[in-house]
Amino acid sequence: MPGIRAMTPGRLASALCAATVLLAAGPAGADETCQSPYMVKITGVEDFVYVWTLGVEGLGDGSDKLVTVDAREGSPTFGRPIHAVPVGGRHEAHHGGFTDDRRQFWAAGLSDSRIFIFNVADDPAKPRLVKVIDDFVERSGGAAGPHGAYALPGRMLIPSLSNRDGTGRAALVEYSNEGEYVATHWLPTDAAPNGATIEARADGYGYDARVLPRRNVMLTSSFTGLENYMRPLGDLMKDAEAMKRFGQTMVVWDFHARQPRTVLSVPGVPLEIRWAWGPQNTYAFTSTALTSKLWLVREDGRGAWSAKAVADIGDPSTLPVPVDISLSADDRTLFVDTFMDGTTRVFDVSDPDRPRQIYEKKIGAQLNMVSQSWDGKRIYYTSSLLANWDKTGAENEQFLKAYTWDGKALAPRFAIDFTAERLGRPHMMAFGAASLYGK
Amino acid sequence: MRPAPLLGLAALGACAASLAHTGLAPNVLAHEGHGHPPRAEAGAPFPIPEPGSYRLPPIKPAGGGRVLDEAGRPRDLLDDARAGGVTVLALIYTRCGDVCPLASADMARLQDLAARDPAAARRMRLVTLSFDPEHDTPEVMRSFAAAWRSADPAAPAWAFLTAPGRAELAPILAAYGQRVDAGPDGSLSHLFRAFLIDSGGRVRNIYSLDFFEPALVLADIRTLLLEEAGSGAARGR
Repeated sequence: MPGIRAMTPGRLASALCAATVLLAAGPAGADETCQSPYMVKITGVEDFVYVWTLGVEGLGDGSDKLVTVDAREGSPTFGRPIHAVPVGGRHEAHHGGFTDDRRQFWAAGLSDSRIFIFNVADDPAKPRLVKVIDDFVERSGGAAGPHGAYALPGRMLIPSLSNRDGTGRAALVEYSNEGEYVATHWLPTDAAPNGATIEARADGYGYDARVLPRRNVMLTSSFTGLENYMRPLGDLMKDAEAMKRFGQTMVVWDFHARQPRTVLSVPGVPLEIRWAWGPQNTYAFTSTALTSKLWLVREDGRGAWSAKAVADIGDPSTLPVPVDISLSADDRTLFVDTFMDGTTRVFDVSDPDRPRQIYEKKIGAQLNMVSQSWDGKRIYYTSSLLANWDKTGAENEQFLKAYTWDGKALAPRFAIDFTAERLGRPHMMAFGAASLYGK
Repeated sequence: MRPAPLLGLAALGACAASLAHTGLAPNVLAHEGHGHPPRAEAGAPFPIPEPGSYRLPPIKPAGGGRVLDEAGRPRDLLDDARAGGVTVLALIYTRCGDVCPLASADMARLQDLAARDPAAARRMRLVTLSFDPEHDTPEVMRSFAAAWRSADPAAPAWAFLTAPGRAELAPILAAYGQRVDAGPDGSLSHLFRAFLIDSGGRVRNIYSLDFFEPALVLADIRTLLLEEAGSGAARGR
């Protein structure tokens, strides 16, 4: 039987030390929230914001690129793009993430399934492209559309959105930090539930994947396949059959075994997943893009998981399309961006069953990503969703905007017009710091 | 049995050192935890999957290299792994003031837990390798081992190794992707990782401190032993 021995002085000391470490690890630092829990954390203010940016034909070099924005207040280039690494061509740059040691940033392209690996450790102001994975579809056994890049110990977890047929059947694909393929785990379907209990249906779609280590739980969400996300949005919205092919599920996994346990019914396309950080807070939030609701996914006292809608985001009847969300490190404040009205809304989620909107602000004509610092004082926004879904004409604003947040209102720090800078469509943001590498 | 008072001093010393430099070395604090509480003494905080019911795909080749045992005798890091069975390798340094003592405590718990499964204990081993060869001489490792290693004859073997020098250590760290940076105060900044190595010399799992749950690691070990015996459902690839 495990663990039957009474706690020795050594073990007690270890436990006390661990508790102390936890106190020290409280929300006093300044890294970005909403990161992999396995990843090294910035303990000072971020120096840089890396922006994975879609290229635009005829704008600058037209290539997807990783842009470094100087976030060092007092720097002569504060609030300016100071470096860009073009990767050559356009690949529908979308999301990305650091390895657990934070020495590499992996950035994925949704259209041709390429993954670009940048070294951010040698010169954090000037990332360097060191490897391109161009056989993702072949090595994974048919997964396509690599979406995020989520740090696991010594490995990266890449949730796909699609497959070689372009439909929404998706997989989770693992690579070693060295960029070598490790394994593929397909999302469960009604036909192949892989042992999962299914609430309503298992559509097999994928989007985000995030782990709550202390419960050995991974949660995944669901979007749509390549055949949909590469189509012009206006065209797609008129296609009633195509609009049926969007995710309606979230999957609770036994993370260690990589086995699905429960397929939850979350209609309306659940996208970003944010686990609460508190040691007793065994829940996550997500937002649904097509039904404009906040959902709470929670474990009960018996170890069963369920999902329920807990708030509307804006007026769902106007289809605001919630996109990125960001939960503060103290689990009290949730930022929710809506693409169509370019607005960020702030919810008090201290009672997760009853989120209450406390603030809203229009950031631009369109809005997608939001990243906040660990201390909750600095908030960054970008504008682009997908090349074919971004607005057109004068409403096609492409920006990174930085604000301070005092708990009541956003105040501007700086803004960068990515079109005027001839950079492209800014999407995923990630924080960098020279201190991580002893620099 | 393990000398508890010395064990306690080691852990408390580590804790004090941790506090002395404001909690954690600046480069090693991970997001991990989501408020992860101190490791529960009474069992794992979640259901442990049945050994053999899941796969542990090979991640990469494990790295060998010239190291020294506690008596100062040269050997290869993978000598024992090549002899069969399963190896759990933890990379630490003994002056570490934060995560390493916690990791060593988890290794000790794993050793205790495995002692109750003689069949597994006989076919597994624990290895702690220091990446601080200037300080962690074989003598230091021998003393360190005395604080942590169980004297229970049923417990699996636990070797405490160090490298002859930086030159020998560098390729080992590179093979495991273990970056170690010296801080201005002499501390060695690193992200703790432990590695599960099969008898074929392949890394089959990598653990952060947050997922270094002894019951879970033992389930992984049993999974590989079942695979090795050809009787488990689990297979690599």
